[in-house]
Amino acid sequence: MLEAMRYFFLRALRNMRQWPFLCSAAILTMAVSLATIATFFLIVVNIEQLAARWTGEIQVIAYLNTPPAQQDLVRLTQDLEQIEGVENVAYVSPAAAMDRFRERLGEDASLLQGIRPDLLPASFEIGLRPEFRQQEGIEIIVAQLEEVIPVDDLRYGQTWLERFNTFINMLRFVGAFLGGFLLFATLFIVANTIRLTLYARRDELEIMALVGATMRFIKIPFMLEGAIQGFVGGMLSLLFLGVSFTLIISRGLNAFWLTPVDFDLLFLTATQQLLLVLAGVVLGVLGSLSSLRRFVRI
Amino acid sequence: MDMIQLYNVSKRYSRDSIAVKDLSVKIDKGEFVYVTGASGAGKTTFLRMLYVAERPTRGQILVDGQNVTRIRSHQIPYLRRKIGVVFQDFKLLQSRTVYENVAFALEAQGKKRFEVSKKVYQALKEVGLEHRLQRKPLELSGGEQQRIAIARALVVDPLILLADEPSGNLDQEVTMDIMNLFKRANARGTTVLLATHDYSLHQRFPRRVLTLDQGKLVGDQRPLEMETAEQ
Ligand SMILES: Nc1ncnc2c1ncn2[C@@H]1O[C@H](COP(=O)(O)OP(=O)(O)OP(=O)(O)O)[C@@H](O)[C@H]1O
Ligand SMILES: [Mg+2]
Repeated sequence: MLEAMRYFFLRALRNMRQWPFLCSAAILTMAVSLATIATFFLIVVNIEQLAARWTGEIQVIAYLNTPPAQQDLVRLTQDLEQIEGVENVAYVSPAAAMDRFRERLGEDASLLQGIRPDLLPASFEIGLRPEFRQQEGIEIIVAQLEEVIPVDDLRYGQTWLERFNTFINMLRFVGAFLGGFLLFATLFIVANTIRLTLYARRDELEIMALVGATMRFIKIPFMLEGAIQGFVGGMLSLLFLGVSFTLIISRGLNAFWLTPVDFDLLFLTATQQLLLVLAGVVLGVLGSLSSLRRFVRI
Repeated sequence: MDMIQLYNVSKRYSRDSIAVKDLSVKIDKGEFVYVTGASGAGKTTFLRMLYVAERPTRGQILVDGQNVTRIRSHQIPYLRRKIGVVFQDFKLLQSRTVYENVAFALEAQGKKRFEVSKKVYQALKEVGLEHRLQRKPLELSGGEQQRIAIARALVVDPLILLADEPSGNLDQEVTMDIMNLFKRANARGTTVLLATHDYSLHQRFPRRVLTLDQGKLVGDQRPLEMETAEQ
């Protein structure tokens, strides 16, 4: 068993040494394909991350019919804070609202002269935990909110949220679509490159079958070869991504992306890096297998 | 004992042409048989059906008692380990050394390394090329290349040796060397089938001759001295 594995491994290695050009072509194809897919993935992930920051400003404002009595205020605030998904609650009295309004008007504040200070409604400004800063989350909170206090009107940027949702869904859809397309193109290209390398060795395959080699015996070295090439290709693509990423960061090129100063571009997590290399291995093995079927007829 | 049996075997590659037609023949273990006939008579097709490179369209083929007509693909390798095949164009791997070419047949059967090197050396010695171990096939003459191909076929001690025009590209002297190798293998008990249209071979080494014509068996002759010896 061990000797067999050693033999298969040696044969895979010597095959690659024998056809350096074909071997590098296969490796490069996989490296470029994997790097393309990973770059694309990073772009989508970073746009999503960036978009998530915009939702930081989302909050629910509940306008009240009548200002609550002073003694109820603490209890009401506590009740609101109990609601799942609520991060913080701030009460804005009519007077405070008027002060803000005046502040905002600035020089035109004189317009407010003579107006009753309780003209503006009292309100609760409710901050949300990040995972609730989307349509469904807000709907859940609002439903519970209305059980705690009689609400006159609610503001939470409904139209903006809807548009934002559409945008994220679009992004994900286009991402999945293009990603899937890329994956297929990659599979196709890799399988064809490997087919080319096998075509160059069809004599060997024919003679192996002739002298009574089993399918397993014929396939294993080629699968190993595909796995090795996929592994190297995956590592290369990772190296390429890492270097380009560092360059982008160090040159401050992320300013081009119109990102806020304090925004950190995301790179692949350790797991994702591992997955990328693994994808290379799987790609190599599947590519070999699918092409072998064409050449080995017993 | 019968090594090869064919019963009403026909092979069509396409609708309107028939390569082998209604062929019935038995070949004993240890026989040496020529298969002759004009070009296109079906000699190659006949041999290819024996190692299941082709399947017959009709009829039954038994090799070493096993019906190979409807053999499962995963069993074919084990059948082929009993059969050595030699071609007119040698079919050697040009990128491998002589040693590796012969070792290939044993490695394909999963033989251990020490066993492989011993047997390869013996087989190459048998064909007189043990001093060419590290050469590549293209550095050798045609006759030498064919002897390597024969060593590869014989290194596994096959029950049957199939040779399809093995001397087609070689001169008389080399042809005789090769015939001697076949005879020696035959003397050790290997059943030999040799497809050729070189009639001079039949005269120098008289043996049973199967003659094909447009896929049909039109002659099955044994040399006189063999017939008298049998009676
Ligand atoms: N793969 C194939 N596809 C279609 N027809 C074929 C194929 N192989 C052989 N034939 C046809 O079958 C017939 C027998 O061919 P075969 O090769 O068996 O003859 P042969 O006796 O070996 O001839 P030669 O002496 O020229 O080698 C021929 O008419 C040939 O054209
Ligand atoms: Mg022929």
